[in-house]
Amino acid sequence: MVAFRNTDASGRTSGLLLRCVLYSLLALGLIIFDKRYDHLGQIRRFLSVVAYPVQIAVASPFEGWDWFRESVSSRETLRADKAKLERELRLANFRLQRYEALEAESQRLRALRDNTAGVAAHFLIGNIMDLDLDAFRERVLVDKGARDGVFVGQAVLDSGGVFGQVARVEQLTSEVILLSDAAHAIPVQVNRNGLRTIAVGTGDMTRLKLPYLPTSADIVAGDLLVTSGLGGGFPAGYPVGTVAEVKRDPALSLADVDVRPAAALDRSRELMFVWLKPDAPAAPSATAAAPATTAAAPKAPAPPPVQASSPGGAKPK
Amino acid sequence: MMRDDRVSRLPMVFSALVALAMAVIPLPAVIDAFRPDFLVLVVFYWSIESPRVGGLGLAFVAGLALDVVRGVVLGQHALALTLMAAWATHIRLRLRVFSVLSQSLTIFALLTGYQFILFWVDGATGNPVTTFSRWLAPVVGALIWPLLAGLLSRSSDR
Repeated sequence: MVAFRNTDASGRTSGLLLRCVLYSLLALGLIIFDKRYDHLGQIRRFLSVVAYPVQIAVASPFEGWDWFRESVSSRETLRADKAKLERELRLANFRLQRYEALEAESQRLRALRDNTAGVAAHFLIGNIMDLDLDAFRERVLVDKGARDGVFVGQAVLDSGGVFGQVARVEQLTSEVILLSDAAHAIPVQVNRNGLRTIAVGTGDMTRLKLPYLPTSADIVAGDLLVTSGLGGGFPAGYPVGTVAEVKRDPALSLADVDVRPAAALDRSRELMFVWLKPDAPAAPSATAAAPATTAAAPKAPAPPPVQASSPGGAKPK
Repeated sequence: MMRDDRVSRLPMVFSALVALAMAVIPLPAVIDAFRPDFLVLVVFYWSIESPRVGGLGLAFVAGLALDVVRGVVLGQHALALTLMAAWATHIRLRLRVFSVLSQSLTIFALLTGYQFILFWVDGATGNPVTTFSRWLAPVVGALIWPLLAGLLSRSSDR
């Protein structure tokens, strides 16, 4: 303290304390306003646009490297890739044959039950930006934002199944919280017998948990879990994961169930934003859906993408 | 050592931007938990080296930038960084004559305080992160401090 006073002849001694208190109060005020009143949307949106160049600058070398590697990959690799894709397409087409009929049947049954919960209507493809947001939270930044009609709570899929939901929307980007985030939970049901429960994240990208099932519940390793559509956030019938392990301790009343997510949470680069109904909040208007990035079918009863298992379809192993 | 007001802000701004980029640069998940808080270390360095130019303003702005890129509640990193940078500024004269080991230990204390404030705000705003691995960053940060300080002082002396 003494040394400090002696050297700062310019009267900065009280200055430091004063400025420290000032800035801290400012920061505390920001925290409170941001948390309690949500008044800071505009400020945050502005700041995020300012930060966008930094994010782009960090992400682009990695994307550039990917592009470079792709463009110099050998003819052999390309041929192998092409053969693989053709094989996959054949398989997908084969599965698709029965799909139309199943879809119609499903619609009919839903109408009978007066249950139209969660039929996906619109899709929008987004790319994950190559950034690490926070080592302890499972979140990714995607290059679609409020401009594209993305809204908070929107369901996000990848080619394997449910990926997560939108946690925060900026002008140009949005933040998607993964299924595996420790703060995330999703209503699911067992495809085999319709048993409903909730899958929560563990903070580990390769594992979900079903903490609310009694030890007597009818669930075995290998069961496919699909979204139940309850709660209205997610479309019904999309794969969430397969049960990896069921631990039943007779001394406890709840079973300990581990689930392997169906989506490639740690590998996917492209995600699909889903609008449940054409009149859902902030569904993309004709103009918003027009850009070339909208690789989804914009017509109203667009069929969901071909999944390894369609609702009620065969269970993949 | 004391810098006059003619000193250029360029190295400071540049190093802060680079550190911000390092904070979000993608790393494999295994070593991600070991990533030190580069921007925090840089802010500490400038708080100790030339608090008039860097100081709390830099700390506050850098904290806000971290809040925005991390997508957490606005003001969290700003608060933690402001308080710890003020502390660093306060003890800077003693810090400069410390041996490398004691400097690193002090930086470790500062980084731990920083993490603790983040931890506290996380809890107060209702999304606690309780993994033990968040306390690894201060250790790694303290370990690379001599390296980083040497690098920064060389770049700013030129």
